Amino acid sequence: MSRFDPIESLTDDESLAHYGRDWTRFWPARPEAVVFPRSTEEVVDLVRLARRDGLKLVPSGGRTGLSGGAVASSGEVVVSLEKMRELVELDTTEPGLRAQAGLPVGELQRRATEAGLYYPVDWAAAASSQLGGSIATNAGGIRVLRYGMTRDWVQGLTVVTGTGEVLELNRGLVKNNTGLDLRHLMIGSEGVLGIITEATMALTRPPPEQSVLLIGFAGLSSIMPVFTELRAGLTLSAFEFFDRRSIEYVAGATGEDFPLDGECPYYAVVEFDDPGQASQERALELFERLAEAGHLADGTISQSLTQAKELWRWREAISESISPMTPYKNDLSVRVSRVPEFLDALDRLVSEHYPEFEVVWFGHIGDGNLHMNVLRPEDWSIGNFHAAGRELSPRVFELVRQFEGSVSAEHGVGLLKREDLHYTRSKAEIELMRQIKAAFDPEGIFNPGKVF
Amino acid sequence: MKILVTLKRVVDYNVRVRVKSDGSGVETDGVKMSINPFDEIALEEALRIKERGEAEEVIVASIGGDEVQQQLRTGLAMGADRAIQVSADGDVQPLTAARTFLKLVEKEEPGIVFLGKQAIDDDANQTGQMLAALWDRPQATFASKVELADGKATVAREVDSGLETIEVDLPAVLTSDLRLNEPRFVKLPEIMKAKRKPLETLSLEDLGVERAGGIEAVSYEPPPQRGGGKVVESVDELVSELKSKGLL
Ligand SMILES: Cc1cc2nc3c(=O)[nH]c(=O)nc-3n(C[C@H](O)[C@H](O)[C@H](O)COP(=O)(O)OP(=O)(O)OC[C@H]3O[C@@H](n4cnc5c(N)ncnc54)[C@H](O)[C@@H]3O)c2cc1C
Repeated sequence: MSRFDPIESLTDDESLAHYGRDWTRFWPARPEAVVFPRSTEEVVDLVRLARRDGLKLVPSGGRTGLSGGAVASSGEVVVSLEKMRELVELDTTEPGLRAQAGLPVGELQRRATEAGLYYPVDWAAAASSQLGGSIATNAGGIRVLRYGMTRDWVQGLTVVTGTGEVLELNRGLVKNNTGLDLRHLMIGSEGVLGIITEATMALTRPPPEQSVLLIGFAGLSSIMPVFTELRAGLTLSAFEFFDRRSIEYVAGATGEDFPLDGECPYYAVVEFDDPGQASQERALELFERLAEAGHLADGTISQSLTQAKELWRWREAISESISPMTPYKNDLSVRVSRVPEFLDALDRLVSEHYPEFEVVWFGHIGDGNLHMNVLRPEDWSIGNFHAAGRELSPRVFELVRQFEGSVSAEHGVGLLKREDLHYTRSKAEIELMRQIKAAFDPEGIFNPGKVF
Repeated sequence: MKILVTLKRVVDYNVRVRVKSDGSGVETDGVKMSINPFDEIALEEALRIKERGEAEEVIVASIGGDEVQQQLRTGLAMGADRAIQVSADGDVQPLTAARTFLKLVEKEEPGIVFLGKQAIDDDANQTGQMLAALWDRPQATFASKVELADGKATVAREVDSGLETIEVDLPAVLTSDLRLNEPRFVKLPEIMKAKRKPLETLSLEDLGVERAGGIEAVSYEPPPQRGGGKVVESVDELVSELKSKGLL
């Protein structure tokens, strides 16, 4: 017998280790149990049980989070939404869909596509992350440039609060100016306010055929002029950047040969609408002009969808290729126009203070978002390296503050950035966040110790 | 030696093909079109042969309306020296294609005509073989490895049970299989240069090709819908489901 009956639960060591952590590896996984509710009602029952028995709950999605938001390291109960993955309704006129929070985002994308529609929010871990998790982290990814973040697609949420109240937030309405929109408080709340059990998401028409450019920049100062010109001349869906070092790791992990010479310091994968011959021609003209201006040194363009996929691999596979080096990740953002200046300052900072560390840069430059990955040297232990990362961080974040940027652009705060929130948010803001948390979850049941 | 490579414009391999509602063909409006993947492999091999110094010129040819110039330009950007478009509208059957290429062979006198083993749209797998017969020269089809020496080609062929290696006298017809090579990406500067490479347009009439009309497409149907999967709760349920379907 388990106290969670009839709700399914697991307490064996293997399951606890598995469900007790997300993509991060910095904290031990030590939950007391993992539970698998199948309905909003069962989630309400769990909250009631938690209040009665003084349990703490960690809402848990696909556990692809990069900030430890879904980590349970001090005897919490992991509430996995894994068994709540039903698609409730697909509406082709709206168009939109309603699904349980545990539906994998990859599955959502597939179901939309099958119905002749499109869910555009996409990133390397979308196949394993869940709708609820992606809302709780306001996931961004590779097409924010064109389609915005997860927030822009949420039309309704069903939420269970820390008092066991069920909230129906916005009910799928397009227009609803009736007071504070609590839905938007839930988006990006990283499981500290309540558990999202269902969501209504907007869908759109699929874009026309896409082609992919892979381009090599002459130097750092060329990135913005190229972005500006390509954005003006083409309908861009993505403008994703990476450095030369990324190529070595992807080549090592995939065994593929980089299609260009690989001698430029920075590269970008650029995806654009290509419904016919004319846009290819325009892309080529732009390339020619930018090459003549000395900004672009090399490039290729996909001639088939197979090639488009292969070119994307060079950007998408970076995260996984460097994961054996347990990188210390920073997910930073500044105003788009300040990216090159910021990148330059950061690069100098790291090489000055940690000449022994290798840094891999990639990111969503069109959104002003850079992923800085400091790689662990082979002979360093994870513990020592994490400590060194924490030492480096204040310097990095001080720079972020100077540039009026964000210390976490899209990966959230979780456990990883909790101490650093003040670099981006004022005291008054953080205090208000605490009060809002207390209003939703007066007994502090959900995700204790996370975010603030 | 010249190598003549044929390129067919087809619906991209990754596109989910949709049958027109009246069953008269497949939708191509607004659909991504690419070089037939096997033809792209054939061209890659021809370019490698040339880069090894074993051929002087690579010519790409395609039959169809002006839209095929797009695939020919891609071929030029990959490295072909010049291109020939044989303009023709409507459906071009394998025998018509083979007759057309024979005319080009008579005109260009290549040492190798390299085709894809088949086009992924009609999957006919006939053109190379017909051309060899019309030309009365040897053929080495389904090539997964090609070596040239002393006026001969040694070709490893993918056959059902493994590889068969044969030797053919040149000139000959070769057709490529999937594992022959991995085609290169075209560099943007090469695409610029390709714009200045010669592209000649002829017509079936100019070449005096007699159109074959032996095959008539009667109707097209999409494959049957796959039945939905079912998630079972336990091994017992799985076993009884399989039993009830007679699978165990
Ligand atoms: C290789 C890789 C690449 C990535 N790239 C990107 C990227 O480009 N852009 C980006 O934004 N992210 C990226 N991520 C991060 C991650 O995939 C996203 O944050 C994702 O949205 C997390 O979803 P999840 O279901 O895995 O959530 P989890 O990791 O399970 O949880 C994340 C947070 O949400 C909370 N939560 C989960 N489910 C619920 C729920 N139902 N109700 C309330 N709270 C809940 C958890 O408590 C936790 O705080 C990447 C991750 C990996 C591993």
